[in-house]
Amino acid sequence: MAEQFQEPVVEQIYTLNLGPQHPSTHGVLRVLLDLDGEFIIKADPVIGYGHRGHEKMAENRTYKQFMPNSSRMDYLSGLLYNHGFVLAVERFAGVEVPERAKYIRVICAELNRISSHLLWFGTYIMDLGGFTPFLYCFDDRENILDILDRVTGSRLTYSYCRFGGVNRDLDGEFISMTRAFIERLRSRWTDYHNLVTKNVIFIHRTRDVGVITPELARQYGVVGPNLRACGIPFDVRKSEPYEVYDRFDFVIPTGTKGDALDRYNVRLEEMEQSCRIIEQALDQLPEGPHINEVAPFKVKPPRGEIYFAFESARGLTAYYLVSDGSPYPYRCHIRVPSFGNLQVLTEVFRGTLVADAISILGSIDVVIPEIDR
Amino acid sequence: MSNRETITQKLQAMLPADDVCRDESCQAGVLFSAQVPLAKLRDAMKECDTAGYYLESITALDFEDTFELVYHLNCYEPRARVAVRVLCGHDQSPATVSDIFPSALWQEREVHDFFGIEFVGSPDMRPLLMPEDADCYPLRKTFGKVYAYHKRDEIYG
Amino acid sequence: MESQRVEPVIKFALLEDILNLARANSLWPMTFGLACCAIEMMAAGASRFDLDRFGAGVFRPSPRQSDVMIVAGTISKKMAPAIQMLWEQMPNPKWCIAMGNCAISGGPFEYDGQYAIVPGAHLIVPVDITVPGCPPRPEGLIQGILALEDKITGGEHRNYLRRFRRMGGRG
Repeated sequence: MAEQFQEPVVEQIYTLNLGPQHPSTHGVLRVLLDLDGEFIIKADPVIGYGHRGHEKMAENRTYKQFMPNSSRMDYLSGLLYNHGFVLAVERFAGVEVPERAKYIRVICAELNRISSHLLWFGTYIMDLGGFTPFLYCFDDRENILDILDRVTGSRLTYSYCRFGGVNRDLDGEFISMTRAFIERLRSRWTDYHNLVTKNVIFIHRTRDVGVITPELARQYGVVGPNLRACGIPFDVRKSEPYEVYDRFDFVIPTGTKGDALDRYNVRLEEMEQSCRIIEQALDQLPEGPHINEVAPFKVKPPRGEIYFAFESARGLTAYYLVSDGSPYPYRCHIRVPSFGNLQVLTEVFRGTLVADAISILGSIDVVIPEIDR
Repeated sequence: MSNRETITQKLQAMLPADDVCRDESCQAGVLFSAQVPLAKLRDAMKECDTAGYYLESITALDFEDTFELVYHLNCYEPRARVAVRVLCGHDQSPATVSDIFPSALWQEREVHDFFGIEFVGSPDMRPLLMPEDADCYPLRKTFGKVYAYHKRDEIYG
Repeated sequence: MESQRVEPVIKFALLEDILNLARANSLWPMTFGLACCAIEMMAAGASRFDLDRFGAGVFRPSPRQSDVMIVAGTISKKMAPAIQMLWEQMPNPKWCIAMGNCAISGGPFEYDGQYAIVPGAHLIVPVDITVPGCPPRPEGLIQGILALEDKITGGEHRNYLRRFRRMGGRG
């Protein structure tokens, strides 16, 4: 549609306020749109409606006390954030982790990644006007939550990881449930593709819509599936392997054009890759303790700093911790992926239609409280 | 030559040897750390831009004697993260880099929200995360309950 | 904050009861999520938990069409005026459910020196039901909605429709 857009000649610009309470803005995002007819001339996202002051809280709490906060930033992939925080502190303070715990964390984290992508899938299609896939996705997602609920005791905001391991060990039931779930999810791909991927309306609303070029992605620091959809195979799990990700065989799915359809395909393929990682981790799962019993009760990292990057469901996320040697972090900064992913919209929205803007916003997959922190 | 080698050489040529530090193991997550004087910040960032890096995060640290701005940059290569560190006194204002990296605009606004650091030349310094009528800089150590407020040397010395 | 509801001068008891019965069994919540709890609210409306069973599954995107506001998540100081405006836009009769600890009292984010949030929805809108949890499970939200229904009809024994269903009738 971009080729039909021309610079406005008439001075009739309409300002539309999208949000902060709007059913398709994924939380409390507000976008001020300057419109010329149906075309967007300028988009100005206004954020901060979910600002909770996590970074200040970190300075007031010990590392252990901050752990519940970590999963409440990006609540869709809470376990991944929790995992990342624990890894950062462990590397900082030099805490040893048993092998079994590493595998358990990877399994649970990848399950969480699938659940996050499933929720994105459902809500994205709902934004585009299809309600049925939403119910299918939530059905599958509830199965993951059952599995995670069983071992972590929580459905959404997990604080499962501990410095030096995990809270609870896996049992045979968990393993069989996970295997059954993966089998079930694979059998559902046909349904999903029949419902959505082959749908003409869906293709028309996503193909060539919201193209992010690799150069634009670099300028704005776009990461995660949105970056991979432009054809750059960049994934922290491969480039800076943490935990045991270097022991698994998986590929980084990439797109070619960087439009909404590519982003959709990349995420769908990522779920399949996560399934592969989980299967391999279950096969290799070693015996042993699930937590390092001699890990210090009070974590006191040495003076200095660490910048730890990991791959959350939305892309490269990093914890930047500065310690003065006390049990309280001197500074805790969280680099969130949605920050760059949302900011690029100021460029991408220019010259698109309002209806396309909803499609683009959905395809970017932002979580607003994660940006606001 | 890969991006990470290019940028390392350029920054090394630009700065005295004491101010740069290369850690091949990336134990702290950063391959190359450069202490850049405030005046040379934009030059260093331009080098990073031409070397194909993207800006990952901007943050500030509040010390008793000074602010320190930390710019983390990365490129799509394994273990290539660069940290550009700038000391910025409590009364100094760094130059904006938002014309070099567009993503810096919001991040500078965020730093301004939290620390009250003004970026000279920035086109937009409205509050980003804080309400428009906010009158405090919450991440300064003088705000709220303070557990620790150190000089910079006490942590990095 | 005191409730702003205006009681009518003349009341028709029986008519009110019938109307309340209808209101209680067809609550229309507003699609309105602030943070984590919104995901559980979505889950409550989706396949497994299916709020439609209780007549409360019709999530309306506009405050003008809804009669329950579910405050699901942390209320930041920046968001509070918007929530107040949404509440005022809703037509009477209207009810409010504070879902999750953040909406009840600030939850895990309330501490000495917190600058960013409003600790509790009751400070800006009148709250009828609180559903504790961080986040509450969908079952918890359903219980909250049932409790609201009972509140509207004036006690569970007067929710005749539910009593009828319990006795095996089809509603």
